[in-house]
Amino acid sequence: MITYFLCLVLFSIGLFCAVRKRNIIKIIIGIGIMEYAVNLFFILIGYRAQGRSPILARDQAITNIVDPLPQAVALTAIVIGLAVMLMLVALAIRIYERYGTFDITKINRLKE
Amino acid sequence: MMIPFFLILPLGNAFVTVLIAKADERLQDLFAIFTTLSLFIIALFTLMSVNAAPNHLLLYRTTGFLPPEGLALVVDGLSVFMLVTVNLVALFVAIYSSGYMKKYTDKWKFYALFFLMLAGINGVLVASDIFNLYVFMEIAAISAYFLVAFGTEADELEASFKYAIMGSVASCFILLGIAFLYAHTSTLNMAGIARAIAASGATRVLQLVSVLFLMGFGLKAALAPFHAWLAYAHSSAPAPVSAMLSGVLIKALGIYAIARIFFSIFGASVQICQILIALGVLSMIIGAVLAFGQTDIKRLFAYSTVSQIGYVVLALGVATPLAFLGALVHIFNHSISKSLLFLTSGSIERLMGTRQIDKISGVIRRAPATGYPALFSALSICGVPPMGGFWAKLIIIFACVQSGHPILALIAALVGVMTLAYYFKPMTCVLFDVGTDASIVMKKACIAINTAMVSLAVVVVIAPFILMPGIRKIFIDGAVAVLMNGTSYANIVFGAIR
Amino acid sequence: MIEINILLVFMIAAALIAVQVKDLLSSVIGIGAVGIGLSMAFLVMKAPDLAIMQLVVEILSLIILIRATIRKDLPFSTSGRWAFNTISTIIFLILFLVFAYLSFANIHTFGNPAIKTSQEYLSHVQGKAANLNIVESIMLRYRAVDTLGEASVLFAVVIGVLAIARRAWRRDGAE
Repeated sequence: MITYFLCLVLFSIGLFCAVRKRNIIKIIIGIGIMEYAVNLFFILIGYRAQGRSPILARDQAITNIVDPLPQAVALTAIVIGLAVMLMLVALAIRIYERYGTFDITKINRLKE
Repeated sequence: MMIPFFLILPLGNAFVTVLIAKADERLQDLFAIFTTLSLFIIALFTLMSVNAAPNHLLLYRTTGFLPPEGLALVVDGLSVFMLVTVNLVALFVAIYSSGYMKKYTDKWKFYALFFLMLAGINGVLVASDIFNLYVFMEIAAISAYFLVAFGTEADELEASFKYAIMGSVASCFILLGIAFLYAHTSTLNMAGIARAIAASGATRVLQLVSVLFLMGFGLKAALAPFHAWLAYAHSSAPAPVSAMLSGVLIKALGIYAIARIFFSIFGASVQICQILIALGVLSMIIGAVLAFGQTDIKRLFAYSTVSQIGYVVLALGVATPLAFLGALVHIFNHSISKSLLFLTSGSIERLMGTRQIDKISGVIRRAPATGYPALFSALSICGVPPMGGFWAKLIIIFACVQSGHPILALIAALVGVMTLAYYFKPMTCVLFDVGTDASIVMKKACIAINTAMVSLAVVVVIAPFILMPGIRKIFIDGAVAVLMNGTSYANIVFGAIR
Repeated sequence: MIEINILLVFMIAAALIAVQVKDLLSSVIGIGAVGIGLSMAFLVMKAPDLAIMQLVVEILSLIILIRATIRKDLPFSTSGRWAFNTISTIIFLILFLVFAYLSFANIHTFGNPAIKTSQEYLSHVQGKAANLNIVESIMLRYRAVDTLGEASVLFAVVIGVLAIARRAWRRDGAE
């Protein structure tokens, strides 16, 4: 249980950074940490104590592999996370060219 | 079977558009219109097929394996209702954008992103596996973030960035919820999850997952208190993008996902319904209050969307058959009317050069092809009889009274009056000749834009006819049955697998 | 079993550094450390495919993040409702952690998963010995639609970055 809990603490650190920081790059770093934590949580869910990695050997009988389905899910999620990071950084670079700053409190031309 | 074409056609169009990027623009326009027309016709065929199928469910096995090992695409009454709505709106937006997007460079990138978004939305509607739903939701969301920033002006980039940040945080919440759900039930197939939850009963993990999903999908659906991104994104985006976002994306990614997960998988418990009612009322009131006094016409429409989504979620929370009927009619009506409103606002901006309400007047006289559609769709959203919006709100109010919540009916009626109030002054100023501003120089009209707007206006005007008994049985009753059935979705899907 | 906890503590420490330090470049290196720790955690959890993928993704993310950073972070501002916002965020996070900890009682203990779906994958594979890497066979055969979606996401991001990075975005006067 402590392992799950530490993973969720990592998620909370990322969430705090994404929500409370002023610099755009810090916000992006926060979202990145959140995504890492969720992917790790998937793998922790699937782990079997004294398990083997899910690669079969041709001559051995395999009885205790770790769960391969969360690993496939996490592979897809890692790639989607990379795509989101690419998108956010590209948007941030373009915003810097237009506004001249990375401060999110100053990037506020849209009034209520 | 026709179901995989919902994914193949838009994805194929996106890839082909990139290949013919250097070709004549009219070829790309023709391709886009042809694809969306085919999608709409396939959606109508699927509507007929679902009503003829046993148990009203169609199942398509991808890769030849059955669930739970393989993935299946499943279409039932609710999915096909949303599919018809989505592809209808997409058809007219595609026609419109073939004319409107001439003022931007690199129109092929717009088409590629547009069809990727459409593929994502269709994928969410036919998914039967919760991680599949997440992947398609991400395709649609990422394409939407880029489409909002398509003009690359300063405020468009800012709006897109804020939308992207909030949307990415919501997606992380949803993925964490999926992880907890897999830990609890050890399967990712939605029918399998429903069976496992029914066997295990209500547990703490389910409460945690419900909260995570409500936060995540609630942000995608622009429910209050997660509605802040909507005003920025919808008002800064190009007009066809605003139409797709407000009319289609919110409903498919947010409302459909909430309905599918909380009704078909978790089973609508009393607490969830009460939370939905509370969030719905909050959205209705906040949207209406914030819409007063807006001077930018697209921001007014954006806050109005928040308010109308509140109506739908309120009706979902009340959870009687009449309320579900009202919610679905409201979804259909609002999709077509609000999309038409955003399209007309784009046309107004193109013709008159500004979006400020106090600078525009006399649109009906000067540009009737823009003015009359705007008039009809505004009447429909305000709930003026005999337009579709009136029937939808009437049904929702009756449902609230019938199920023993008279206060909710009163609030719904009050917000309806507020909707009429905050639409009245801007729309009369804009449409009729109140001001004296004769100095606005009008640009030449565009065939594609006018065709799209007038056709969609015809659909808006005949929309109330979906309540007629014959059409209603085909179109809406299947969706109401799915929502009422709740967790027997699992039995139906497993029955179709054997 | 103790290795994963040590790795997690290391990752938390690196994440705290990444979040709090003022120099942006150090912050990016901090998230790099989190990523490397994550890759080692994947190895310890017997997921070699993921460890490789995480390393590649980590390197790409670091490259693009370094491209975007400028030297210094902004000075710590206490303007506006700073205290209220921060304290409400911390309260929300504490509530979330407490509730999640309580809900751990309903999911399996660490190391004893209830593998249901994957038994079917095993039974399919052991007959034919077609593809020995089960994760790869899941991604390419059973859940191929997910892989299609992942490819489409990458495609969308490439087109989108090209779209917002273009220099001339409007045609003036062309109707």
